Amino acid sequence: MKPLPIALAVICFVIAALYLAGVLQIGASHGGRHISHAALFGALGVLALVWGRFASAPATRRP
Amino acid sequence: MVLAVLQGASELFPVSSLGHTVLIPAMLRWNFDRSDPTFLAYVVALHLGTAIALVVFYRSDWGRIVRALTASVVRGNLSSDVDERIGWLLVVGTVPVAIVGVFLEKPVRQFFGSSAIVAGFLILNAFVMFAGEALRRRSLAAGTGTAVTPLGQLSWGDGGRIGFAQAAALFPGISRSGTSIVAGLLLRLSHEDAARYSFLLATPVIVAASVLEIPKLLEPDAHAVLMQAIVGGVLAAITAYASVTFLTRWFHSHDLRPFGWYCLIVGIIALGLALAKVIT
Repeated sequence: MKPLPIALAVICFVIAALYLAGVLQIGASHGGRHISHAALFGALGVLALVWGRFASAPATRRP
Repeated sequence: MVLAVLQGASELFPVSSLGHTVLIPAMLRWNFDRSDPTFLAYVVALHLGTAIALVVFYRSDWGRIVRALTASVVRGNLSSDVDERIGWLLVVGTVPVAIVGVFLEKPVRQFFGSSAIVAGFLILNAFVMFAGEALRRRSLAAGTGTAVTPLGQLSWGDGGRIGFAQAAALFPGISRSGTSIVAGLLLRLSHEDAARYSFLLATPVIVAASVLEIPKLLEPDAHAVLMQAIVGGVLAAITAYASVTFLTRWFHSHDLRPFGWYCLIVGIIALGLALAKVIT
């Protein structure tokens, strides 16, 4: 798997964890834990891993 | 119960559910605290009902899409499978609205919550639908858009554009399905495909928003309204299922203009009442 998608996924998961723990408050309308923000960055992290999977797989020929 | 039926119907019709949940209670002089935990729990149940109705209605589509996406990820590449392409288009279309929604939903809604502003946006929603239909007809008449693009051949960029158009629904009075169907029409989808893509696109957003709010249903304060919430959720689900059944048939042979007229008339009446300070 290529390093850029992995780095991006790690960053997203760290941001998700920080929102979930209530440490990160950027873009939040109130204090405390932010489950929606955490879920968003968790999903973006998963998508980054999918991108990495696609980028590392050998290209297939179109019929 | 009226709120449940209203939510189930207006969430999917291109008439702005959020606008209706501001205007109708104001017109009927319902007084409830929107930040009250029991009210929030009730609203979560209504959204959950709507989400379940959408998933059940499109169950065979979602089954094929999820299988195709899983196979694509396992293989690690894209194929020419139509369901797989629609699945990735839905992912591409959901990301922008999810980012905008999570970061801007509450500030925007707090700022634009008054009846007069909502009525204004409802009128704007009408003109968006009229303009979308007019531009499409002009494009077809001019011969620049004669070929209708099948949903499975939509480009990634266009899929993202339709998804981004949904974000306009953060403004109460602007309809999510209205803006996304108009965006689809302008990108040469048929009415039927534009509506199908719009409803499929709405499903993950409504499901995610509902699931994330489920803890509100389990809070001690919500127990007092648990039975009402369950009944309301079931009613919203039945209404939403009936709505999506009606709308998918409607868009076989009709367009958005009747909904535009409805938004225009309701918006003008509500704006008049708000300016006369009959509603706030």
